[in-house]
Amino acid sequence: MDTIFMIPQKKLLAIISFLFLSFLINFNTASAQDAEKLFKQNCAVCHSLGKNKVVGPGLEGVGSRVPNDAWLAKWIKNNVEVLKSGDAYAAKIFAENNKGSMTVFADLKDNEITALIAYIKNPPKPKEEAVKSSGSAAKEEEKGVNPLAVLIGIIGFLVIIIGVLRGVRHTLQNLQNEKEGKPEEDAIGPWKEIKNWMAFHKRTVAVIALFLLGGVLSATWDGLMGIGVYEGYHPTQPIAFSHKIHAGDNAINCQYCHSGVERSKTAGIPTVNVCMNCHKGISKGPVTGTAEIAKIYEAAGWNAEKGIYDKPQKPIEWVKVHNLPDFVFFSHQQHVKVGKQECASCHGDVKVMTTVQQMKPLTMGWCIDCHKKTEVPGMKDNPYYESLHKKLAEKYKGQPITVDKMGGIECAKCHY
Amino acid sequence: MASQKYWKGLGELNNSPEFVENAKNEFAEEIPLEKFLGSSSLVENNGTNRRDFLKFLGFSVTAASLAACETPVYKTIPYVVKPEEITPGVANWYASTFFDGNDYAPIVVKTREGRPIKIEGNTLSKITNGGTNARVQASILSLYDSSRLTGPTANGAPSSWETVDKEIGAKLTAIAAKGGAVRILSSTIISPSTKAVITDFSAKYPNTKHVTYDAVSYSGIAKANEQSFGEELIPSYNFDKAEVIVSIAADFLANWLSPIEYAKQYAKTRRVSKEHTKMSKHYHFESNLSLTGANADERYPIKVSEHGKAAVNLYNAVAKIAGALALPSSALACDTSLSKIASELIAAKGKGLVVCGSNDTDVQLIVNGINELIGSYGKTIDLENPNYTRQGDDAAFAALTDDMSKGKVDAIITYNTNPVYTSPSALKFAEAYNKVGLRISFADRADETASLANYICPDHHYLESWNDFNPKKAHYSLSQPSITPLFVKPRHEGTRQAQETLLVWAGINGDYRSYIQKNWNDKVFPMQGKYMMFTDFWNNSLHDGAVEVGKGLETAENSNDAAAKDEQPSVNGAYKKGAKKEETKTVPKVDLSGAAKKIDSVKGGSFELAIYEKVAIGNGNQANNPWLQELPDPISKITWDNYVTMSPSDMKGKYKLMERQDREASVVKVTFNGVTVKLPIVPQPGQATGTVGIAVGYGRDKAGKLSVQTGVVGQNIYPFVQIANGTMAYAALDVKIESANETVEIAGTQIHHTMMGREIVKETILEEYKKDPQSGNHPEMMHTHAGKVNPATIDLWNEHEKSGHRWGMTIDLNSCIGCGACVVGCTAENNVAVVGKAQVMKTREMHWLRIDRYYSSDMSKAVAEEEKIGGIDMYLQMENPAHENPKVVFQPMMCQHCNHAPCETVCPVLATSHSSEGLNMMTYNRCVGTRYCANNCPFKVRRFNWFNYNENPDYVFNPAQDDLGRMVLNPDVVVRSRGVMEKCSMCVQRVQAGKLEAKKANRKLVDGDISMACAQACPTNAIVFGDLNDDDSAISKLRKNDERNYFILEELGIKPTVSYLTKVRNCDTTIEEGKKGAAHEEKKAEA
Repeated sequence: MDTIFMIPQKKLLAIISFLFLSFLINFNTASAQDAEKLFKQNCAVCHSLGKNKVVGPGLEGVGSRVPNDAWLAKWIKNNVEVLKSGDAYAAKIFAENNKGSMTVFADLKDNEITALIAYIKNPPKPKEEAVKSSGSAAKEEEKGVNPLAVLIGIIGFLVIIIGVLRGVRHTLQNLQNEKEGKPEEDAIGPWKEIKNWMAFHKRTVAVIALFLLGGVLSATWDGLMGIGVYEGYHPTQPIAFSHKIHAGDNAINCQYCHSGVERSKTAGIPTVNVCMNCHKGISKGPVTGTAEIAKIYEAAGWNAEKGIYDKPQKPIEWVKVHNLPDFVFFSHQQHVKVGKQECASCHGDVKVMTTVQQMKPLTMGWCIDCHKKTEVPGMKDNPYYESLHKKLAEKYKGQPITVDKMGGIECAKCHY
Repeated sequence: MASQKYWKGLGELNNSPEFVENAKNEFAEEIPLEKFLGSSSLVENNGTNRRDFLKFLGFSVTAASLAACETPVYKTIPYVVKPEEITPGVANWYASTFFDGNDYAPIVVKTREGRPIKIEGNTLSKITNGGTNARVQASILSLYDSSRLTGPTANGAPSSWETVDKEIGAKLTAIAAKGGAVRILSSTIISPSTKAVITDFSAKYPNTKHVTYDAVSYSGIAKANEQSFGEELIPSYNFDKAEVIVSIAADFLANWLSPIEYAKQYAKTRRVSKEHTKMSKHYHFESNLSLTGANADERYPIKVSEHGKAAVNLYNAVAKIAGALALPSSALACDTSLSKIASELIAAKGKGLVVCGSNDTDVQLIVNGINELIGSYGKTIDLENPNYTRQGDDAAFAALTDDMSKGKVDAIITYNTNPVYTSPSALKFAEAYNKVGLRISFADRADETASLANYICPDHHYLESWNDFNPKKAHYSLSQPSITPLFVKPRHEGTRQAQETLLVWAGINGDYRSYIQKNWNDKVFPMQGKYMMFTDFWNNSLHDGAVEVGKGLETAENSNDAAAKDEQPSVNGAYKKGAKKEETKTVPKVDLSGAAKKIDSVKGGSFELAIYEKVAIGNGNQANNPWLQELPDPISKITWDNYVTMSPSDMKGKYKLMERQDREASVVKVTFNGVTVKLPIVPQPGQATGTVGIAVGYGRDKAGKLSVQTGVVGQNIYPFVQIANGTMAYAALDVKIESANETVEIAGTQIHHTMMGREIVKETILEEYKKDPQSGNHPEMMHTHAGKVNPATIDLWNEHEKSGHRWGMTIDLNSCIGCGACVVGCTAENNVAVVGKAQVMKTREMHWLRIDRYYSSDMSKAVAEEEKIGGIDMYLQMENPAHENPKVVFQPMMCQHCNHAPCETVCPVLATSHSSEGLNMMTYNRCVGTRYCANNCPFKVRRFNWFNYNENPDYVFNPAQDDLGRMVLNPDVVVRSRGVMEKCSMCVQRVQAGKLEAKKANRKLVDGDISMACAQACPTNAIVFGDLNDDDSAISKLRKNDERNYFILEELGIKPTVSYLTKVRNCDTTIEEGKKGAAHEEKKAEA
């Protein structure tokens, strides 16, 4: 089980190093990048680069299957025409694929098609190596030294030094006493010595004690206030889903998956069929390869080889990251649709998170703070607020009309 | 003076040894520690001392804080493939229909994430117009009843559908082969498709007959109509067109025939305003004080044996004026009133209506005669559009039982009926039933009848089913599943719709839904002219839930259409094609004097029993529903019990009168025809002397888990029903009542019955109201330094700002009939806990909304002044309701959302505060349970969670403690825990949701966007909710224009947000005058 004591910085380092490495590799394959984009945009929904069939056949080894590249280019551009022309191979693959016709891409330019064919023939493999190397780099980083251990080490070292120095001082004193003919000084234990010191420095001791007490009290207070606050919580999910790849790298809109955000009180965890919209075609990820995406297939009951759903479905048990107590009513639609708030204002910059983390404390104080500071952006143009806005504008001349001024911090707005 | 001895109790004065012993203890009474800890062993067998306690305390605090550091893991499991129409967090609504063989109501079902959580009335229905009653509202909980069977059983053991189908199929075939008799016994079926299924089934097994038997039968009316009009039917009654309503023991607002429909119609005639001062006049004759009787303008308590006689004497009185022949009769005490009523009925020719609750054919014949004389037919009684919801044939049922006992029946299939429980003892149904070779039941649980059956083939709940309904001619509605059946493979063998089961046995393939569609395509679709395509018609009917085809009520009066109407194909096979209209209009050639003679010969005994239905439990088919068990009876306010009601004057000296808030009742043994039941006896003001009343629907030992968890509730009184004159008689004219020399505590929610001279419910009479719209509503003036002023104008505090919304509610006491639908609606909406009988006795019921019922008292300040009665005596006498015939008022009471709320000022933790929208907010998570607020509330509407009703094993009957029952909880409302206060929130979740919809749609909030759970449940539209800051809202207009508007306890300066409209009675004397009159008479009697 993950706890709040996990420190996210390590992961951040790993991410940065990974980003750096992949950047380097991207430089090398810059020419292929356009083709890759084209492929993702146009082909990936129906074709995989491997052998498995999605909607259309897998494209591995397509270069040796088709008559020639020119035919392939023609086929890509307008397969219907090729079919009409009575081409034998075209008729064959048409029959092989249950007579499902392929989309016509009349808009693709010739040079784009050439690039695409080149890309399909030599799909990028170095990515996997990059993944491996970045993965091991991340692991090495993970072994970094714990600062707390360092601190304890230093303190321990200092204590030893003090002990040694005391011993040395005692020995030297005795040597001198021996020289001066004084009796040998008793070895005073360190504890007794501290006591003696304390007896002579009562005021200092009192001040230190006060500070210590204050520190303990404030730590207790902070500890108690932190009960039930799970800021930084980032549990391990059953599928290592990365928001960074989806929302960041691929810039998928939040609402594509969290479609309830403007319609319901919950934003909604996407159902597996939403994942399958894209992952029917994308069976290999840049970081984890096929391992994690295979889990989606398992959940959806998707048979990647046959390209059909013929297995039992298994719902995915995600671990909820942002939890509000039962007695709080929170509505996403109120905040996102009406209040026009950005997702990031409460969820942080999800686009850079490999594992989603609770970025805000989600305490009542935090809610109220925001309600006291935030003006309602949608208020002026929304006829619902018309009369209220007029009255409030009159009352708080010139002041910003924040949520709390229109009753946004009343108990029954969230508790009922 | 020091020698004076003071003592604090008789114990101290006598210095008894117990007192001396107890005086040493800190608490004189024993502390119920054991009860608190839940087990005596905890007290006895532990050596825990204070130090240990402190150690444990310290340990648990540390443990709790350590445990809190670990993040609890919550799983969230989305669908694999999300159904298109479901968005988690957004409710879907489906139109459906409730019909349980008793109540009929088209409804809309609110579902969340695929599970139904709330039922509301369907406003598109022309019959109920969106009305519901308590039983309909509560039926949602019956869906999640864990006592339901999860699969078929064979001889008591779980079986599979395959086996059951094979075995039953083989047996039925064998029976059919030898020509054996197969009988289907059901309550009323109004589904044309179900009837078609039965016809198909009969085609396969030719010797099959369908017998209809209703637990509470109305076959007397049908039989009488057959004699009067040649057609065995029950007409539609139009109470909305009636100006004078006479009811002889017909409880038409709560139980009689189609109560939801009639309540809606009745309320229309009772609503008054300055512009519209016309109001119907309602006379009521009855023995028990019923809900309808309580709402009547003039009520006459008469004995049960006099019901028929009153009808005859009314006939004679009418006949005298109309010039018809008189019938043989004997004099009654109410004869003078009857002749007055007769003249009013004649004066309002065509606008009068006489109904009678008797199931006796003779009595109904006389009533038909009266209605004929006063010209009701075609006006207030609609024979053209018969009501199909009661088709029970008592004679056929008796004949069937007879056949069964003689071994003439080889197989019986029971559907939606429980005759072993509901049939009269004289029929000995259970014995006869066991003589049938093959007994099959479609019951959803092993109830009294089904547990004796060979096979139980459990039917779906109606919310899981497809079905169609034809409650009245030309009116159709549909029900559709709003949830996947709860019990399905692979976890359970599953339930199966009864119609599908019959189809399987009949060897017909295909599901019932397509069967209905086909049936509608053939029969219903041709009747309408709106849609060209059947698919359009079907989809729209399904969407709307209720449709009216052909010529409906609106054109019924147009006689030119009559011929066309008669040619309409009738899908409902229950009624023969009617005789021609001309014939139905002729004066009945019936032997009325013969009927009158028979009625006249009826003799009553020392105590006459009137058997009645209660608003909550009805005929008992939902007896396993804790919401209904905890709903107080509107009149007696008693929960979780049935009992004998008797007039206090009859009880005096014999039984406990339960005065001064006494909960203890005497127990009596009631004997009739060799059957004895033991029941508590409670005083019922208004009960006719010499009569007693007992409700049916109780004493069900096999209704389900509730009878195990709480013990069997009440006693079964159905065995007292007898078959007389070919119909069931819900009366016993000579019952023996003897004391059982025991007492028992009664769980009543209201044990003070009068208003003690205060104007909590304000009322006036129509004549006064016409003169002065403010009559009865003159504010109590307050003495100040500036003279007497209206307390509404004095204010200690500053007024609240008027920006945004300001919610308000107004309740028309003239429309409110006190039925309690709102209470159940509120319970369902707000996750209100069920607390059980023992807690109700401690006044700990959790209902956010209660209905206060007050009886008038013979004593008032005016009477006291006149008769020079001292203050103490006056108040003591005021506590007693008028015994003989009190006036009754109902007042829905919930949090009044005071603008200067006394509860808010005393809360030490600010858990209750005022919102800018005028609501008194209650924050459970902030509440520490001081209960100061409840103590300071003048309306006593705050409820405290004394226990954790959702987990404590003492309250297992609370639906929230059951895995299935929990599914009914509204996910938008918190389930409260122990130690917090709760109260009406003015459905703040609905308010917030309604506002949000408007905000999202970029529009202003429109009046009517938001409705309260209580308001939508109300069958009479008595509750109006809206924005007081919106000048165009219905509530603002009502408050501005209606002088009847008043606030309760306004003189306290609390400025309530909820207001009430004065009750207006259409009677001749005010209560005050009545009291004076009564006092005078009493004095005369004494003298």
